[in-house]
Amino acid sequence: MEGARRGKRNRLLEFLVERALFASALFSAVAVAFIILFLFRESLPIFLGPGLLDFVLGAAWNPVGSPPLFGALPLVAGTALVTLGAMVFAIPLGVATAVFVSELSPKGWKPLLKLCVEILAGVPSVVYGLFGLVVLTDWIRVSFAVPTGESWLAGSVLLGVMSLPTIISVSEDAISSVLREHKEASLSLGATKWQTIWRVVLPSARSGITAAVVLGMGRAIGETMAVMMVTGNAAVIPSPITNVFSPVRTITGTLGIEMGEVAFGSMHYSALFGLAVLLFVIVLVVNSAALFLLRHRQAGAFGAGRGMVSRAKSFLSGNMVLLAGLAVVALAGMSSRALAASLLVAFALLYLLLTRLRRQWTEKIAFGAMGASFLLVACALAVIIYYVFSNGLPAITPEFLSGFPGNSGRAGGILPAIIGTVYLVAGAIAIALPLGVGAAVYLAEYSRGGRIVSVVRAGIDNLNGVPSIVFGLFGFAFLVIFLKLGVSLLAGQLTLALMVLPTIIRTSEEAIKSVPNSFREGSLALGATKWQTVWRVVLPPSVPGILTGVILGMGRAAGETAPIMFTAAVFSQRALPSSELEPVMALPYHIYLLATSVPGAAGNAYGAALVLLVLVLGMYGFTALIRAGFSGRRNW
Amino acid sequence: MEEGGAVIGPENGAGADAEGDAVMRCRGFSLWYGKVQALKGVHFGVRKNKVTALIGPSGCGKSTLIRALNRMNDVIDCVRTEGEIEFLGRNVYGPGVDVTELRTKVGMIFQRPNPFPMSIYENVVYGLRVHGVNDRRVLDEAVERSLKQAALWDEVDCRLHEPALSLSGGQQQRLCVARALAGGPEVLLMDEPTSALDPIATAKIEDLVYHLKRDYTVVIVTHNMQQAARVSDFTGFLYLGELVEFGETEQVFKRPKEALTERYITGSFG
Repeated sequence: MEGARRGKRNRLLEFLVERALFASALFSAVAVAFIILFLFRESLPIFLGPGLLDFVLGAAWNPVGSPPLFGALPLVAGTALVTLGAMVFAIPLGVATAVFVSELSPKGWKPLLKLCVEILAGVPSVVYGLFGLVVLTDWIRVSFAVPTGESWLAGSVLLGVMSLPTIISVSEDAISSVLREHKEASLSLGATKWQTIWRVVLPSARSGITAAVVLGMGRAIGETMAVMMVTGNAAVIPSPITNVFSPVRTITGTLGIEMGEVAFGSMHYSALFGLAVLLFVIVLVVNSAALFLLRHRQAGAFGAGRGMVSRAKSFLSGNMVLLAGLAVVALAGMSSRALAASLLVAFALLYLLLTRLRRQWTEKIAFGAMGASFLLVACALAVIIYYVFSNGLPAITPEFLSGFPGNSGRAGGILPAIIGTVYLVAGAIAIALPLGVGAAVYLAEYSRGGRIVSVVRAGIDNLNGVPSIVFGLFGFAFLVIFLKLGVSLLAGQLTLALMVLPTIIRTSEEAIKSVPNSFREGSLALGATKWQTVWRVVLPPSVPGILTGVILGMGRAAGETAPIMFTAAVFSQRALPSSELEPVMALPYHIYLLATSVPGAAGNAYGAALVLLVLVLGMYGFTALIRAGFSGRRNW
Repeated sequence: MEEGGAVIGPENGAGADAEGDAVMRCRGFSLWYGKVQALKGVHFGVRKNKVTALIGPSGCGKSTLIRALNRMNDVIDCVRTEGEIEFLGRNVYGPGVDVTELRTKVGMIFQRPNPFPMSIYENVVYGLRVHGVNDRRVLDEAVERSLKQAALWDEVDCRLHEPALSLSGGQQQRLCVARALAGGPEVLLMDEPTSALDPIATAKIEDLVYHLKRDYTVVIVTHNMQQAARVSDFTGFLYLGELVEFGETEQVFKRPKEALTERYITGSFG
């Protein structure tokens, strides 16, 4: 009797748990659907009114003129140019650095180098923006003798640096996973190490590297704060098109600047959501392409094809490189003869390097270039960190950390901003953790494939790619306006939770999957139910992995500005928030405003940036410790 | 000096006359992975146009030894060596040796077939291309010659530009042989070349080894004693990093001088 009743209760529990887990897995897909729905709903007037074509291809953006003009072309061009410029130097630098880290770094250094790349990824975008605004634009203005450094070039340099970590880490993964057998085969045939890298390793890793580049592009396209702070934000198409010193305005920058001032329900409001839809679609396409490449990596055959086709292909790809090179020279020629000439010389040298030199020399030069790339990346990191520390440290006093701001942030402290950020992050994690782990458990342990699961996976992947400013817009339209939460702590926490959810799901799923199957079988063979097995055997060893995901999510949530700008953050507050429905101050938003809108507050901006940087990097350091601590202890 | 006591090879083996026309000679060669000594004062000669087999139980160091001959162990971290390996009158571990030249002259076939994910043609000419040969006629010629030598030509001559990974396992391994031959090596090292193949593909490789020794010198590692007996002229038996016995195959298998060798060959251990 007793046994039968327990059996019944168990079955009910099993059923309820599975349903609950399934619901949390479905949540991401529903969230993405909701985001799309709301973006479209709010943008409908602009698509129905002036029409899609006039909106996308309209040549002027002047929403406050009379008549107001809503042509997105200059903004699309701005985004495209800034991204293109960023890629021009981020791709070679990133791939070369990845080769260096994976294949050439001295013994035992690899973890350290990877840590550098992770730190570069962890620096909040508003800190990049602050650095760009104060140092980079000034350097461009002085060294090129132009009236202002806030330009396409500044945006590209900054975005390039920001997309480097993505390009490096994904490429490095692809390069490291090239089969050792292939490298050995090449070496045993008398190829040098460089020839092996050039002819076997890089071609094998080609689709992974391409995916890395595309993901880096996605990151660059979706970035808001840093771009907004350095590109000058004039909605013009550079003239001539190669004028890198021209100010530009990106889609994200427009959203960041205008969303705060727009009248709710106006055509301008609708046009901004139209831009968000445009951005969403662009990023969706880019990220889907990257995912496709990564998933089809195992096919990995290079230069394989049938007879003429493969020969034609290799012929074409060779000439494509040549044509691309010529195009770059021609473009450069339009802006400066000297630049074009030096590029030509560089290409000629490269050609000689690859074909004519003795291969031992080629190897030396190539390795030198890889090492130099890495040094350059490390220098960029060092300069930014040093800059924030050296300017921020003088501002750090006990009063600064424990006081309220005064005189528009020029005086006083940042306590409410610190507390606000802590509240936002804590709330976001409290919401995202159960949902994320539940979804991960469902995907790893319960799902049996099928259409619903692929929809869920697509939802998670897409949620991961949504630019942070789009989360901000969605949070504003849905939480603040539609659900009438107002600009509040709760709205900010929910928006951030949505943003960090994919990170938590992915890392948790990885952790759960890495628990050996023999554990599960052992537990099931002793008569445990599925949920008992998951709860008692699978989850405990996954805790470090899940914790890593949680802390990565916390770091991201703490550093992001765009999602909270319209949903939760305000510039100043007299008292600490006492309810979930009050607005809060937040560190990144505070830094942004001090840097851009309050003259004479530079010292405090650096101080706040230092606090934010230490907070975020401290979290990343903590995950590194967790990984190191637990990887030593597990022994299966 | 550990290797002092461990030099057993020449006294027990075929002796000085067997080393008369050796192309490669190991002299008191020892190798460490970190603190673990994997080879202890190995001493033997590889004779020209003969097949030399290295046998021994798992972990005895036979793969380490064969990889030492063309310095493929350099790929592994914390490897340290002592003693010398002489090839064409030079110590391959000596200063100023160009490893890539060495590996061009001393080619290698691995346990599992490892063709590159390129076309059959590109696989074969890889070694030539990395040495800067790009003349189509030379390459075409090399492809036909090496594939014929590797007994693969008749099976692939009309699909040279198809992916190498479309071949069967046995064909892939012969492609790897052809690839190693295209660069014109003197010595071919084979590290358990048939361990991943079925009996028919194995027979083809063994047949190939028998024919190859007319033009090349072959060193083959195998865990299969029948294979060693079938294909080799000389056999070395390794145990725990020491070369216990080295001599003509017939002698080693029929009249082993060491009790340990006899016990291994008769299957008492290993």
